[in-house]
Amino acid sequence: MFTKIIRSTGSRNIAAIVGSFLATVALTIAITLLWPFGDLVEQVLAGGTFFFIFWASIFYWATLAQDGLQAWTRVLILLVPAVTIDIINLAS
Amino acid sequence: MKQHTHKRLYDTHSWVGIISGILLFIVTFSGIPALFEHELGYWQYPAFGEIAEDRSFDLERTIATANDIGFQYDKLTIQLPDEINNHIMLSHFSDESEFYTLYLKTGSYEEVESSPSALGQILTHLHTDLYLPRPFGRYLVGLAGMAMLLAIIAGIFIHVKWRKEFVMLRPKRSWRLLLTDQHKLLGLWSLPFTLILAFTGTILGLLGIISPILALAAFDGDVQKATDTILGPRAEITGEPAPIYSLNELWIKARSDLADKEIKLIEIEGAGDKGGLIKFSAHHQKHLSNIETVTYSTATGETIHEGSFIGKGPFHRIFAAVTPLHYVLFGSVWLKICYALAALGACGLIVTGNMLWLERRGHGMEHLLSKLTLGICGGLVVATCALFPVSQLLYVFKLGEEHHHFEEWILWSTWGITLFTPFLWKNGFQLSHWMLRISAALLLSTLLVDGLVNSRWFWLTSGWNFYIQAGIIFFALLLVYLDIKMPDEKKEKITNRKTATQATHI
Repeated sequence: MFTKIIRSTGSRNIAAIVGSFLATVALTIAITLLWPFGDLVEQVLAGGTFFFIFWASIFYWATLAQDGLQAWTRVLILLVPAVTIDIINLAS
Repeated sequence: MKQHTHKRLYDTHSWVGIISGILLFIVTFSGIPALFEHELGYWQYPAFGEIAEDRSFDLERTIATANDIGFQYDKLTIQLPDEINNHIMLSHFSDESEFYTLYLKTGSYEEVESSPSALGQILTHLHTDLYLPRPFGRYLVGLAGMAMLLAIIAGIFIHVKWRKEFVMLRPKRSWRLLLTDQHKLLGLWSLPFTLILAFTGTILGLLGIISPILALAAFDGDVQKATDTILGPRAEITGEPAPIYSLNELWIKARSDLADKEIKLIEIEGAGDKGGLIKFSAHHQKHLSNIETVTYSTATGETIHEGSFIGKGPFHRIFAAVTPLHYVLFGSVWLKICYALAALGACGLIVTGNMLWLERRGHGMEHLLSKLTLGICGGLVVATCALFPVSQLLYVFKLGEEHHHFEEWILWSTWGITLFTPFLWKNGFQLSHWMLRISAALLLSTLLVDGLVNSRWFWLTSGWNFYIQAGIIFFALLLVYLDIKMPDEKKEKITNRKTATQATHI
């Protein structure tokens, strides 16, 4: 039952809308923290620009998945490392 | 491209368009008058058209005159006269979101009565905030921009035969093919502008959402600190009085510090306090940037902050260009006209997209989406066109402060009434024709009312008044053209091979 729900089209759409947003937020924080060029303001503005690029890209990456499971896998592939980077950097 | 990928992109393009289409139409259509807000502001109130010969600016005299009149606030913004705005405009935003303004005539520094009309501002507010409480309206507009961006991206990938589609219009074939061709034509021709408008509009709309995310990464979540670092600090009122440094000297200093830039705004906060600041904001004359600033202490005159987005990294340049690119704060009026035409094209794109979606699923006028598209989108066009003559006609009744309330009432009531007409009038084609005719007639009546009330007859006007009136005539003629060209009923698909070869290539 759970596998059926996860694999459904609705699940894929939620991954594309909600999952992509969450992954975008985590990735934006990560890139703002790690951006190596320019001053602090440039770092922040780089994060601000990438936010929209990430969002659109992840949305379509999830949308183009075969099913919901693959869409969530794609979102998590980005979300988990990004959250890990965020936690390590923000905690230190 | 794999068939599966193409189909998925096509479906996403359709659904994103259907879900956000009507909202996008409201934002895009109201964006056209918003693009000309200053020009409309000049036209909407005849007293703003008086041009003073002496256009020199004296900052201290401006403040002193405002104080004499009783316009005394701790935080003030001064907008300098320019090519369109003839007067010095002082404004104050209270903590309760109230907005106070004072207009002074350049040269003589006499008070000019504020415009009773708010035509430009009403339509701009609809574009930027949808008349919803801040910041929710702004976020909704930003999300609509993001939806537009996603639809554009998918649209680019699914239209693989774009060279052919660039010039293909088959008006003699079926209604569905006509809609398809128009949708593709409008989308392709307006693509560079719609892409810029969608991207910059999304950034402007969602800046409030991404600021805390960015501040969390670089400023321990302190959004105010992030804003101050990027745009310059705000005054910290100490309560300790201090003499005010010569403001005219600071004005001269700012013009030297902001060489190659045109100063547009002066913000004064806490003058007379030890922590008081004065900030000069300018537009760069050679680069796309409207956030070139210099901030001085009003107590000592020392430079507190210099903010320039030029000569820095690429992301500084991108953010500096967002507002100029969205509101066309560069180039000539012709570029603004190109933007306006592209926005009109985008409106057509949205409407044809919705109709195409309905047509492909075999739905007619009885479908709710069809009624809502006609009611909301057509209704907004009629209501906007009604606002123009009414705005001028209201001067006859000398309503003062109530003038702009009546304008708002006219917009909402006309829109509200038109919104329900598709639910009563079953023939959508006929109703669309009437909407186009009424809108064109209302626009043309604006010229008559403007002539009768303000003696601004089209053949006697010049400058911005002439351009605005010419724009009104152009739009009215466009609506008449659409009324002539739009069919009276749905044409069924013709399968005859001979007729099929009569595709018209324009």
